[in-house]
Amino acid sequence: MSKESLDNIDAKLSEMLINSMHIYDIAMNCLLGDTNLDTVRDDLYATDKTINELHREVRREMIVHSAVNSRNLDIPLLLSYMTMSKDIERIGDYCKNLFEIAETGNTFAKGEDLDSYIELRNDIGKLIVYLQSCLNLEDEAKIRDLITLGSSMSSDLDDKITGLLENKETIEYPVSTTLFYRYLKRIVSHIVNASTALIMPTDQIDYLDE
Amino acid sequence: MNLKSFKNLSFAILFLYFFLVSIKLLEKGIKTLGAEYTDALFESVSNPFAGLLVGILCTVLVQSSSVTTATIVGLVGSGVLSLEYAIPMVMGANIGTTVTNTLVSFGHARREQEFKRAFAASTMHDFFNLLVVILLFPLDLFTGFITKLAEDGTEFILATGFSVTKPNSPIKAGIKWGSNNILDGLSSVPFINNLSENSYRAYAALLIAIAIAFIFLSLRNVVSNMKSLMLNQIEFGLDKALSKGGGLFAILIGILITFSVQSSSITTSILVPIVGSGILSIENAFPITLGANIGTTITAVLASFAVDNPAGLTIALHHVYFNLMGVAIIYPFKIIRNIPINLAKRLSIITAKRRYIAILYVLITFLLLPLLGVVLFN
Repeated sequence: MSKESLDNIDAKLSEMLINSMHIYDIAMNCLLGDTNLDTVRDDLYATDKTINELHREVRREMIVHSAVNSRNLDIPLLLSYMTMSKDIERIGDYCKNLFEIAETGNTFAKGEDLDSYIELRNDIGKLIVYLQSCLNLEDEAKIRDLITLGSSMSSDLDDKITGLLENKETIEYPVSTTLFYRYLKRIVSHIVNASTALIMPTDQIDYLDE
Repeated sequence: MNLKSFKNLSFAILFLYFFLVSIKLLEKGIKTLGAEYTDALFESVSNPFAGLLVGILCTVLVQSSSVTTATIVGLVGSGVLSLEYAIPMVMGANIGTTVTNTLVSFGHARREQEFKRAFAASTMHDFFNLLVVILLFPLDLFTGFITKLAEDGTEFILATGFSVTKPNSPIKAGIKWGSNNILDGLSSVPFINNLSENSYRAYAALLIAIAIAFIFLSLRNVVSNMKSLMLNQIEFGLDKALSKGGGLFAILIGILITFSVQSSSITTSILVPIVGSGILSIENAFPITLGANIGTTITAVLASFAVDNPAGLTIALHHVYFNLMGVAIIYPFKIIRNIPINLAKRLSIITAKRRYIAILYVLITFLLLPLLGVVLFN
């Protein structure tokens, strides 16, 4: 089994996460800060394109790796790379969705919940960085911590969405806020799913609750 | 270099040595058989067309053009097979070797589009080699220009005093030492010793059988060890070829991969799933295949180091020139380059719809037609 080429795939996934962090920062700063959208739009879409291209590169490298190492192939590992790269790629897509909320003119920069939003932004940002730091490690405990943390965050976001859908909270932009939480929940879920791919049996990847 | 790589490299060198010793054994076996008997044996390939078809058949049977060409070099080196008859056989080996990656493409038969691409990727090699043989075989047959070039090349190399070609070179001495030791070892077996004293033909036949088996096994081990050793480089090279597209760079990658693993089938078979998955176009895979065709000629050159007769080097150089010329004729001009590619694509459209045609194609092209031809030409 050619280890160097797999290291190369790890490096590509890491690069995807660095770009995901960047696109996440852009989107969240547009929603929570006073960023002029016109100044970051090109950067945001270019970063998304970079993530997509890296995703394709991971797939290509996996095919080449499979063709070259056809006799002693670690199929579960390649399947986990496939699912991880897909999950990471989706983070970029949801960041684009967050940016689109900002483009509709909605902003959370001036509300009284800003501090909690900023805290949420920072926590999710840390998850992305955490995932990146887990890629090259074989520290199962650290990955399990990440899964636990992400699952708890995802559950909190679910509660917020349910509260909004049941009109328990009175807020300025109910639809945008629901979508905001929904997209953040999806980002967290994809981070958790990508993390499960690092340690879970192939058939259990993505199915943490079952 | 880690322990595994060191082990792979050591085994590759060891088996390369065994490979060269096997060629020497073959030469000795043929010489022991005697001219009278060997003349009769090779009468069946005294027709160039029959030689071409025998080359195809032998390569299809052993699934390795390297084994066929190395054996031919050994036969030429022993003086039993003349250049005139060996040349078409080597050309046939070029065609026969393409069956391996065609068989690999059958692994993609489940999905129509994938199979279409994979089958086209494998058969473009068939069409390329057929086209080159159609162009150069009659030309060389009637003018002998490639043969003349190869003879001049041999004279030039011998004149430079390149140590490997000298009869008393350390490599040749080492090969001779190895083969003599094997012969001594065989003689110590009472049954074989008895055979060598009472029935020289049976003894020679045994030597030839052992030599061919050794050629096959040693080459197989050279290929597998070199492949293990070069996995990262192969992957790196293919990734680079993917990012750069086709062109001369891809030809170079094909040459380097094949040169390092001593097998064009490895290179072309790796390409099949990559093209099948759609991440490499047939057009961009084509130059890598052509590179593989050039890279594979190194085995015959190596084999020629084991034989004393300069004709062994001439047939090896002929193989090099023939494959280089094929690329030089077909690749530079898009209109010519597209002929094998388009033929392969058209055939793949038909076979993707009716998969049994793919099986028929392999059986007819690589078995029935050559067999029929050998019968007819004799």
